[in-house]
Amino acid sequence: MIVGGGHNGLVAAAYLARAGLKVVVLERRHVLGGAAVTEEVFPGFRFSVASYVVSLLRPEIVRELSLPEHGLEILPLDGTFTPLDGDHLWRVNDHGRTVRVLRRWSASDAEAYDEYSRLMVEMARFVKPILSMTPPDPGRPDPREWLPVARLARAFNDLSREQQAVFIQLMTMSAADFLDQWFETDPLKATMSASGIIGTFQGIRSPGTAYVLLHHYMGEIDGVLRAWGIPRGGTGAVSEAIAGAARALGVEIRTEAAVERFLTRGDEVTGVVTASGEEVTARVTLSSLDARQTFVRLAPPGLLDASFLKDVERYRYRGSSGKVNLALDGLPEFTCLPGPGDHLRGAISFSPSIDYMERAYDDAKSGRFSRRPYIDMVIPTLVDPSMAPPGKHVMSCFVQYAPYELAEGDEWDDTRREAFGETVIDTIAERAPNIRELILHAQVLTPKDIEDRFGLSEGNIFQGELSLEQLFFNRPVPGWARYRTPLRNLWMCGSATHPGGGIMGASGRLASLQVLRSLRARKAA
Amino acid sequence: MAGDRYDAIVVGAGHNGLVTAAYLAKAGLRTLVLERRERAGGLLTSEEIAPGVRTPVADGVDGLRAGVVQDLGLGAHGFRAVEPDAVAFAPSADGPGLTLWRDPVRTATELRAGPRPRDADAFVAFDGKIRSLAGFLARLQATEPPDLESPSLADATTGLSLLNALRHLGRPQIREALRVLPMSVADLVSESVEDEALRGALGARGIRHAAMGPRSAGTALNFLWDSASGDGGAAGRTVFARGGPGALAEALVAAARARGAEVRCGAAVAAIRTAGGSVEGVTLESGEEIDARLVASSADPKRTLLSLLDPAETGPTLGWRAEHIRTPGVVAKVTLVLEGLPAIGGADDERLHGRIVIAPTLDDLEVAFNDSKYGRISESPYLEATIPTLSDPSLAPEGTHVVSVLFQYAPRELRDSDWDEAASGRVAEATVRTLEAHAPGLEKRIVARRVLTPADLEREYSLSGGHPMHGELALDQFFAWRPLLGHARYRLAEIDGLYLCGAGAHPGGGITGGPGQNAARAILADARRARRRRARPGRGTSVHIRTTETRYS
Repeated sequence: MIVGGGHNGLVAAAYLARAGLKVVVLERRHVLGGAAVTEEVFPGFRFSVASYVVSLLRPEIVRELSLPEHGLEILPLDGTFTPLDGDHLWRVNDHGRTVRVLRRWSASDAEAYDEYSRLMVEMARFVKPILSMTPPDPGRPDPREWLPVARLARAFNDLSREQQAVFIQLMTMSAADFLDQWFETDPLKATMSASGIIGTFQGIRSPGTAYVLLHHYMGEIDGVLRAWGIPRGGTGAVSEAIAGAARALGVEIRTEAAVERFLTRGDEVTGVVTASGEEVTARVTLSSLDARQTFVRLAPPGLLDASFLKDVERYRYRGSSGKVNLALDGLPEFTCLPGPGDHLRGAISFSPSIDYMERAYDDAKSGRFSRRPYIDMVIPTLVDPSMAPPGKHVMSCFVQYAPYELAEGDEWDDTRREAFGETVIDTIAERAPNIRELILHAQVLTPKDIEDRFGLSEGNIFQGELSLEQLFFNRPVPGWARYRTPLRNLWMCGSATHPGGGIMGASGRLASLQVLRSLRARKAA
Repeated sequence: MAGDRYDAIVVGAGHNGLVTAAYLAKAGLRTLVLERRERAGGLLTSEEIAPGVRTPVADGVDGLRAGVVQDLGLGAHGFRAVEPDAVAFAPSADGPGLTLWRDPVRTATELRAGPRPRDADAFVAFDGKIRSLAGFLARLQATEPPDLESPSLADATTGLSLLNALRHLGRPQIREALRVLPMSVADLVSESVEDEALRGALGARGIRHAAMGPRSAGTALNFLWDSASGDGGAAGRTVFARGGPGALAEALVAAARARGAEVRCGAAVAAIRTAGGSVEGVTLESGEEIDARLVASSADPKRTLLSLLDPAETGPTLGWRAEHIRTPGVVAKVTLVLEGLPAIGGADDERLHGRIVIAPTLDDLEVAFNDSKYGRISESPYLEATIPTLSDPSLAPEGTHVVSVLFQYAPRELRDSDWDEAASGRVAEATVRTLEAHAPGLEKRIVARRVLTPADLEREYSLSGGHPMHGELALDQFFAWRPLLGHARYRLAEIDGLYLCGAGAHPGGGITGGPGQNAARAILADARRARRRRARPGRGTSVHIRTTETRYS
């Protein structure tokens, strides 16, 4: 049984069914997908309500579950456009063209871009196996667990010294400091490092944010490195495709079946009780929820030992982002590059300078949403017109920072939500003044809304902050990173576990493989 | 000294340079220390700032390694450590403030009467945790970082012994260590204690000398690293040298000389000469050339690699990497000479003997840091003051007190001006204003003051970026990659006979003598290896170091 029909839960379900298990998925909401969901929020306008782009979806999952046969189609999202005052920076996937653009800014940056890109591709190739690795437990020297790490260590040894040094920097530096080594163009550094802060409560100058730069070079669509894309039909289409594959393998999927608590016998989880009072039992239960939801909300009190619960409690979520989805009557027109054009077809990044990004973070540190936030904007209708009525558009704005915890005496209510939405629209209007007259409908999601709607604690989109101390063998609880939990027959399979975050599906797959291995071992015993 | 040849030249007579020199001389190497300034001691050297008042840049000798004191017999050369019972006192605007004592139980007793009595037990538990983690890190500090590319047998042995030390921590502590190290100090202290003032006072130690705020990841490492070198638990340590830090410098010089090392001041090294990948000696700014087959630089790594070496020898890649060693200096040093001492935070005298920490809350520290990100001097700075004259009245004429203040943040690169008179005036003004709030009447008592800005530190003490640690101590410039991966084993730039022995090498800055001692160990190990090669004819002929008697300790 899988608790939660997000993409990871569905992936785990499909893999377990593929191995011959009888699987049921219980989803609280009426739609599948968790945060990878498409909803018709306003009549005729369909939105990827939360998560909005795909890049790291593991190719082995696409292959093994034959997702394209179940309707998965990913449309490439080309380039990143950064509007500036009277100018713009526009990078596209065509490397030669980007280098030419950069030359206008700085000859040495253009040159460095070449070298940088090559290095990052090599790094990404080296790091990639980590995504398919079950983390070992540093407190237990079991050679079988450490084998993949040893393999990685050998690969590390084969790198050149410069590559080794860069790898260490990527794991330890701030995105801005890392990029400082190559580039001098401020908007370029700001835009590139922006990816390092997504889903964290850190600034681009905070150590530990460089690592995410690699993600841009790890994405893989149809075997082509470094491409980001939008699924046709929104991110919900990914979940639907996985659900389709799962159903074809015999998985039973039930929506509007909220799980209230676990059924237990001793320290063993034997099933769940749903909100309607129904008991569903299963040999093994996998929770795709985050650790707090799993162990604090669903597990009966008194069963888990205090030190484990303390670890669960101090795990950091602190959501830092919001989402604004707009239904538009036409296309926005940027002052710095008027008219429609290909620059609107990719990501549009509001990240004009490093200071701008840092100021946005300063606001969040003192418990306010950013007065001028970083916005990552896409207009999916330009690549997938089916998302809105003809001539109309949908626009998705990922907004950071919007801290879950506001300063003392303040909380996320309707007034705050409205003010937040206005701030986002004001920020856009500064660079695309016609936006206000285009808006037909607006949906504003604060971190509190994200928590309430998607069951993500504190509105953290990755089920737990992706900070260094919460990665790999510390995810989601030190000592419990191998998908197993202290409760017998209860496993974790969501983004809360390694490698976590993004529409990757890797957590679901790795968890299901561990479950299958343990079942086989039990049978053999 | 015509025709005279030294076995070893140490560039710079800071405390690490002197420690290395003393160890090399002790092992029988003919050693020469060359110092640019007129006096040896680096940041320990005292300058006269008012009649009869001499103070250095450094104020404490908190982390000085016991092994160094012992091996070099510093006691016999006049060094005495003075350790007050009060480690730190954090005055409060609306209360009695809080004191961290050497004895954690005493701290806890006072916390129990404070606003958050629960913190008393929490503090003791936190202190215990820090001590156990620091115990492991102290072993790491004493270790030469391994060669990650081609680990030798010795590296494997070291690795095993470290693993063993780790194992002794126990399983939960291993996991805890790996979780805690990359954290921010704000998160570390906030999950441990509740009182904002206590969090501020503890967290401050994680950002000292760092261009980071308490919420920056990696500041927990700073905190733990300092705890490890001082062995003072959660409170850290405050240790003075009797007679001021200058007395330690003098003891080190005396110890080095007693073992046969020469220390020459006013002899600025302009270049380290190399040929065919080997060190030949140095050239002074005067043009004088001095030969030696071994040169240990206690200058910072950026300066050593970029200014002292021939770029053709280092090569473009290493040059590029050296350029990007991060040295974002953010510390200014303000010294105030006072005629009599005002009451400070309503505290009795005993509490003022340690550090006086103005770090009211973590948020305040973070706001102070924010200014520095935009190239501004902190409006409301984080200050750490000591009044060495309380523990050692001999440092100034009777009735006169010295308040020595570390000011953060004063970024090396100001955005709107240079570090001119006006800028350093702003540092002094912010310092006095902040102190006056806790010590009314202080300003009236000031008879002399001195401000050392990061620009001054860069110019006077040849510190790249004005960074007193020779390079930011952060996760990306740490252990096996301090200062750079592949150059962390004190042997520098793959040049035969070239070593780094200053704070830019593992285990980093502070008055510890750690890098100097570790470097000397590496140098002597190489010397022994060379001697063995010489002892076995036919197995290579390159003999690098003539040693009369190599005794290793």
